[in-house]
Amino acid sequence: MASILSVEDVSPFWLAKTGDRSKGDTEMNRRLFIKNSLAGIPLLSSSFIFNMSRESFLDAEIGSPERGQRARAREMGIIIGDLSPGPMNAITDVPGVKVGQTTILEGQGEHAIRTGVTVIRPPEGQHHGERLFASFFSLNGWGEMTGLVPIEDKGWIESPIFLTGTYNVGIVYSAAVDYLTQRNSGQKGRPVPVPVVAECFDDFLSHSQSRRIKKEDVFTALESATDGPVEEGSVGGGTGMTSFGFKGGIGTSSRVVGIGGNNYTVGVLVMANTASRRQLRIDGVPVGKEVQGFEYTEGKTKSIILIAATTAPLLPYQLKKIAKRVALGLAQTGAISHTGSGDIVLAFSTGNRIPVETNQSFSGINAVNDFWITPLYQGTVEATQEAIINALTTAETIVGKGGNTAHGIPLDQVIDIMKKYHRLED
Amino acid sequence: MNSQNNREMIDSIPWKYQRGNRNAITDVQHIKVGHLTVSKDLLDRSGKKIMIRTGLTAVFPADMRKEERFFTGFLQSRGINDISGYAVVEDFQYLNSPIVLSNIHNFGAVYNAILSYGFNLGRSEIWPPIVVSLDDSSLDGSKESSVTESDVLKLLASASSGSVAEGSVGIGTGLQTFGWKGGIGSSSRTFTVDERLFTVGALVAANFGNGQGLAERIAGADLENRAPHETGSLAMILGTDVPLLPYQIKRIVFDTVLSLPLATVANRDKDSLICLLFSVANAMSMKDEGPRLFRYTLSSDAVLKQAADAASESVKEAILRSICLSKPLDGIWGEKVRAMPGSLFRAILENFKKSV
Repeated sequence: MASILSVEDVSPFWLAKTGDRSKGDTEMNRRLFIKNSLAGIPLLSSSFIFNMSRESFLDAEIGSPERGQRARAREMGIIIGDLSPGPMNAITDVPGVKVGQTTILEGQGEHAIRTGVTVIRPPEGQHHGERLFASFFSLNGWGEMTGLVPIEDKGWIESPIFLTGTYNVGIVYSAAVDYLTQRNSGQKGRPVPVPVVAECFDDFLSHSQSRRIKKEDVFTALESATDGPVEEGSVGGGTGMTSFGFKGGIGTSSRVVGIGGNNYTVGVLVMANTASRRQLRIDGVPVGKEVQGFEYTEGKTKSIILIAATTAPLLPYQLKKIAKRVALGLAQTGAISHTGSGDIVLAFSTGNRIPVETNQSFSGINAVNDFWITPLYQGTVEATQEAIINALTTAETIVGKGGNTAHGIPLDQVIDIMKKYHRLED
Repeated sequence: MNSQNNREMIDSIPWKYQRGNRNAITDVQHIKVGHLTVSKDLLDRSGKKIMIRTGLTAVFPADMRKEERFFTGFLQSRGINDISGYAVVEDFQYLNSPIVLSNIHNFGAVYNAILSYGFNLGRSEIWPPIVVSLDDSSLDGSKESSVTESDVLKLLASASSGSVAEGSVGIGTGLQTFGWKGGIGSSSRTFTVDERLFTVGALVAANFGNGQGLAERIAGADLENRAPHETGSLAMILGTDVPLLPYQIKRIVFDTVLSLPLATVANRDKDSLICLLFSVANAMSMKDEGPRLFRYTLSSDAVLKQAADAASESVKEAILRSICLSKPLDGIWGEKVRAMPGSLFRAILENFKKSV
């Protein structure tokens, strides 16, 4: 029914930025892009572990865009969809959600390490972990995400979500259990919550078998987590990831959705390491077929982990539907979810807090009426697509294992191609 | 409990299927089992005694050098615990790893060590590692991992196809049932189709049960001296050489769980359960340049029925053995966790007898 699909009941504040891509909007975003290009994008909430100078990871000779010249899609004037993002256009627009990252860049040659960990901390309450409704959707299960048993069975998460390289999972899991044991100590009889640790294979750029991540790196990411802007690209778990034939990594985006006079935020964060170059579509434009140069031979096994958070009060079956819409957002970037890709989505809601210990036999729970839920689906699909594009456009070129090089997608070409297809004006 | 009497009691159940030679999961050719028991007292920084009462139990579907995948399915309920490799097993329906039962503190170390084990074999990776967690925290005082990578590698190297140690060994060390000592049990059943012998074997780690609930059903049950029991779990690992496809595995797993007198044994709000079955027949090469087509054997429904019945019997006997073979233990509860009183065991056994 049309009335369900409409986004007209977005509140006036957001309505002002909703709708057609006005010329003014685009120009504003272009200016922002230029400003950022000049100033460079500041380092945000993450810790870096360097055993060498940062410059040596960049291949200036190839002429690929360097750090200060990377930009988010929206800063380039690329506007995905019709809904407006939250203030930071990030998963941290969902109040209480924090992101922390540790980036590990070590050495060169065959044993070069380009890896890290990204942690998403859902609101954890004042003292102990609260439980938030959650669900997952496995579009293609060739990947690891631990903690799925309790999510499927109980319908909630009570752990931070850790994103890292494939072979780091055991070490990150160990660190997570140590953290959760500590966090929940003093709550007798409460089992240690099962951590959620998900992975993509960063072996093209990183000597992943050597598993150089340490528990301390995980604790650092946990401690450094903040609710501010999220650093994207070749950082944290995304450090060694490649996507669509270019450098991939961490990307995030959000949308604000109005339902019946209430504004809800849905935020998506991805660790993108999937798909091949010719598949890439940005806002429907076949950028992957148009872009020239910067080619390299890719590793074979890829994956993408996608995390969605929303303020909308939803029950687990509804979060499963949100998770499926995240997969639709992935599809809009052109990815086909090939057989070796672990494409796993986790969605959680901060709209209800399930008490850990209660003497009450009954307590109240809210949930959006399915009849009115569709705008959230739209926000989810839009934010997912933009998060994946952000991962590409913010990721800088990385030279890794054995000199393997994944280039940042050339933004000047992306802008020209988007103009050619009339998504940007000259 | 007197173990001679217990065995006689278990034998008194009118089982319909023959046992294999060892009456263990290792009766299925190529399956290997290993245990690592961790029982030690440590002092923490403040000088307080920490009692570590845990361990690991590994089940190998085959020699891992063969680079094969085996069709697998599982059923889980009331998920308190974790299974790694969940997405792969659910979506691709096969495994390519030893299955290691562990507590949550050792889970990550075990996961990491299985990766190392695979790298050391000089074959393509063993991935994803399958680790199943059980909650032994009512007897085990661990606050962090108590095994090193070399401990786990030794365990994986030591797994054998001989008879299986049962009771308070491996992950069974810190487990309890109904507040009495629980642990590992194993059993097997065989049947013949067209003059070919097939085997179904089970290994269970029993850590479940609400003693209070049991008392309500069994008049005069002595509930004194039980250890506190907060959360539990019953892990059932089954292997077979019956050729099965994934949807058939799901069916047998479902039938097996349904056949258990769980109303009597499980603590319905707190015990989690996992039943996992793999078939070593219909194995697939996992080499990159494998054949373009695999050819599998499809077993008839009549064969499935026998396999499901054999699975059910082997799990039931394995559960009973896990209860009556477990030895008393001193854990963080403060006193010895005792073996289950014989009268109670008899009552549980009668319940199982009715379900055969």
